[in-house]
Amino acid sequence: MTRVLIADDASFMRQMIRDIIDSEGYEVVGEATDGVEVVEKFKELHPDVIMMDIVMPKRSGIDAVKAIMEIAPKATVVMCSALGQETLVMEAIQAGAKDFIVKPFKPEAVLTTLKKVLEKGV
Amino acid sequence: MDLAKYRTLFLEEATEHLAEISRALLELEKDPSRSDSLDLVFRMAHSIKGMAASLDYAAISELAHALEDRMDVFRAAGRVDSAAGLPLLFRGLEGLEKMVKAVRESGEPGASDPELLLLLRGAPEPAAAEAAESRPKKAPRRP
Repeated sequence: MTRVLIADDASFMRQMIRDIIDSEGYEVVGEATDGVEVVEKFKELHPDVIMMDIVMPKRSGIDAVKAIMEIAPKATVVMCSALGQETLVMEAIQAGAKDFIVKPFKPEAVLTTLKKVLEKGV
Repeated sequence: MDLAKYRTLFLEEATEHLAEISRALLELEKDPSRSDSLDLVFRMAHSIKGMAASLDYAAISELAHALEDRMDVFRAAGRVDSAAGLPLLFRGLEGLEKMVKAVRESGEPGASDPELLLLLRGAPEPAAAEAAESRPKKAPRRP
């Protein structure tokens, strides 16, 4: 079973992602509420995928991607962005994120993106 | 989607965020260049925008987006313009509080204030007031 770590400072968004991916049989192994905690939980839980918000306290999602890539260059990170954050998304992709989804989340888009990054296996 | 569950989550979290924005704006009144307060207002507005958009509360999402963009300008400048900027941010907060209260009471946020949106987006005050007032008169005429 694919193990997913969710990082977002809003519990609303964490719950929404959890509900979408639970329905397809993915296992949510942990949640993080800021850019420091997600790196700690990544080291502890070794998830297959991280769903990472861009705007978070303590350390941005982009800086968290950079930190995770230093630990595990093949880690699979999907950025959770909002409209108008195209530049930040590009920065995250350059930092090593594999793909992105845009809020408000459409369940089919979230699941399609997850399947795509897992099939790529990069 | 279980709308009732998400509406409850939204009301709880948006109310907390608005209280945090209020506290941060009071800090910025004392110190207009306080970076943690500038960041916090930006993040809270961003978060409210995302939650509201997920529930199709377009008026809340639109106002939160305008507030977020305005905060981005202040963050880039390293300070809030306390003469004009801070009162505008307080107006933005008040607008969001009203709409979140309306969701709690009626399930819908109601309409946003077009003048406030224009001001947050950088229109000069007289022009924003004029644009807001003239909006109903701008219905297209039939040829």
